[in-house]
Amino acid sequence: MKIKQVEVLSKDEIEAINSASLNLLSTLGLKIDSEDVKKLFIENGAEIDNETNFIKLPESLVKEQMKKVPSSFKLHGPDGSFNFEVNTTSTKFATIGTPVKIYDPSRKSNVRKTVMADTIKQIRMVDSLKHILCSHVDVWPGDVKFTALHAHCIYQWAKNTRKPYGLGCFGKVASQDMMNMVSIVVGGEEELIKNPRLVGFVNPTSPLHLPHIMTNGYEIFAKYKQPTIIAPEALAGISAPVTLAGLLTQTNAEVIGGIVLGQLFNPGAPVFFGTVSCCGDMRTGNSALGSIETGLITTGMAQLARYYNIPSRGPGGITDSKCFDVQNGFERYQTLLFAAQAGINYITCAGTYEETLVEALELLVIDDELVGIVKRALEGVTVNEETIGLDLIKKVAIANKTGSNFLGESHTRKFMKKELYLPKLINRDRRSSWVKKGSKDIIGVASDIVEKTLKEYSPPDLDKDIEKKLLDYIKEVESRSLDFFREAEGIYTKSISMIGTGVELKEDDLK
Amino acid sequence: MPLEEEIRESILEWDEDKLIELCCTSLESNEATPEELLKVIGSTMQYIGELFEQEEIFLPDLIGSADIVKKVVDDILDPAIKEKGGERETLGRVILGTVEGDVHSIGKDLVASFLFSNGFEIYNLGEEVPAINFIDKAEEVNANVIGLSSLLTMSMNSQRDVIDELKKRGLRDKYKIVIGGSPTSVDWAEEIGADGWADDAIEAVSLIKKLLNV
Repeated sequence: MKIKQVEVLSKDEIEAINSASLNLLSTLGLKIDSEDVKKLFIENGAEIDNETNFIKLPESLVKEQMKKVPSSFKLHGPDGSFNFEVNTTSTKFATIGTPVKIYDPSRKSNVRKTVMADTIKQIRMVDSLKHILCSHVDVWPGDVKFTALHAHCIYQWAKNTRKPYGLGCFGKVASQDMMNMVSIVVGGEEELIKNPRLVGFVNPTSPLHLPHIMTNGYEIFAKYKQPTIIAPEALAGISAPVTLAGLLTQTNAEVIGGIVLGQLFNPGAPVFFGTVSCCGDMRTGNSALGSIETGLITTGMAQLARYYNIPSRGPGGITDSKCFDVQNGFERYQTLLFAAQAGINYITCAGTYEETLVEALELLVIDDELVGIVKRALEGVTVNEETIGLDLIKKVAIANKTGSNFLGESHTRKFMKKELYLPKLINRDRRSSWVKKGSKDIIGVASDIVEKTLKEYSPPDLDKDIEKKLLDYIKEVESRSLDFFREAEGIYTKSISMIGTGVELKEDDLK
Repeated sequence: MPLEEEIRESILEWDEDKLIELCCTSLESNEATPEELLKVIGSTMQYIGELFEQEEIFLPDLIGSADIVKKVVDDILDPAIKEKGGERETLGRVILGTVEGDVHSIGKDLVASFLFSNGFEIYNLGEEVPAINFIDKAEEVNANVIGLSSLLTMSMNSQRDVIDELKKRGLRDKYKIVIGGSPTSVDWAEEIGADGWADDAIEAVSLIKKLLNV
């Protein structure tokens, strides 16, 4: 049988958390910035609390809208030649993170700031990997204008991969740009809506806040039916209760609230029931993504997603380590295996370390291998007459020759690839062979693979007319001022804080 | 399909019956000589070896093919050559066995398969082989190499016993002695006066080729 899913909540405990989350939504509600979104909620039966200004979501509204959420959808690459299905029973693997630095062994610090060349390399690497099915604007191109970054990335995606892509739903202008540009690539809006290409991310700010910029972008993604991940990154003890049950209750309410909004924007809009929550570190106040609690939280959220029959997204392969040490290895494998065994349907963050702030293409290759290993684990043990192999055991054991073994048996040949995962990077050589091949550790082996893959990479053919239209579009985006964005998004603060990077870009920095 | 291709396919597919049939019919009809058939089989095994090196195929594929080829060579082609009064061409004759006090076989059998696939003639004496049996067989078949396997620290000394026994009989320089097995090392090989040590089956092939200059 297949491996049993790991669970941290009993049926009664799921009910208890569900009921507490619904209670939170109906009695306290969500903090909503956008007047339009408030209005939309109220038109559909929500109430505004005049004292707190929170929007209260009655249980009836939640239940009605949750019924409309699809339990499966497909994601396609730019040219449509590659696609995969996301559903509530399978497990798919992808990137996602916010790397603003990349591993560079030529630097003393071993890292440097990321540029567009790194972004392209990461997209190409993902395109070449077997198990990692989707990349997103992970590697942040620090050398392009911030306000046109989304447009540059969509252009590079269309040029450099056959796999789907994803970006944060960061404002309506950027989101609409992405829809317009991808529509150019795929031959029209209808095709984009019918066969989605982009994964959007909406991150509620815990506790219970749906920020303006996110709901602005989310509306566009929902309108175009591009699958959107609603994933709070609550920190136990900091932005959520320290008790994991409390964190699950709060983030469950945040996700449900986000999903209900998506259905109000556009009934049947595909969403992921997401999480990137973890514990807060009680010594530093930092997030602890690689912690064991991340696995427990992810597992609880996977169970809640199954309860609502919505595909889940959770982190795996994540670590807080700043180098390639044992912590990096065990945290990434621990979180990956936990997420996979919990039955998360879309496991993300391949290729990153240092709380997903740093990228290493070497780790991306290693994660692809780890995913292969984990996928083998999920298969479990197949038991039938043929796999038991009673006659074979007897045959080999009594063979009229000493030391007979199973290596040369056709049974071995038939089942070896299905039964045994054969790793590409993991070294099982005898020492002398290993020494002869250069005594490389796994990073060294992965580095060789990165170099070879990028050298031999052949990008898909992008139609010249399409390319020109995309480049023209980028020019238009580049010509806009930051004030244009502020106006359009209804945001009048003096600066925009880029989520995840802690970098504050002032108008002057963009010139 | 030409005979060469049919032979190659039967070896890759482990089709022992077909390989036997192909060899017997072509010998009976004088379509091919046993030497010619050996050449085709040899080039197929070389091809399989290349696939293995490139990680296109794995141990079971290689061993399964080697097993059926060995059967056909021993039962059909060798006798046919001998019947004509000839002798099979080989890169060298290798005596292999696990030394006295040790029953482990898998690593040694892998070495046997790899050497056979690379064109060596193999005499696999099995396990718990007394020193004297290695020497008698080597003398009998006019061997070039004696390979001694040991997986136990307890049985390692039996490797030395074989070498000492050869010295006693004044036969030490007649053979190249190679050793292997988990607890052994290049230092141990030097200490007991062996000619070489290999860490795994692939290295064993290159070591023996180097020692015999083939």
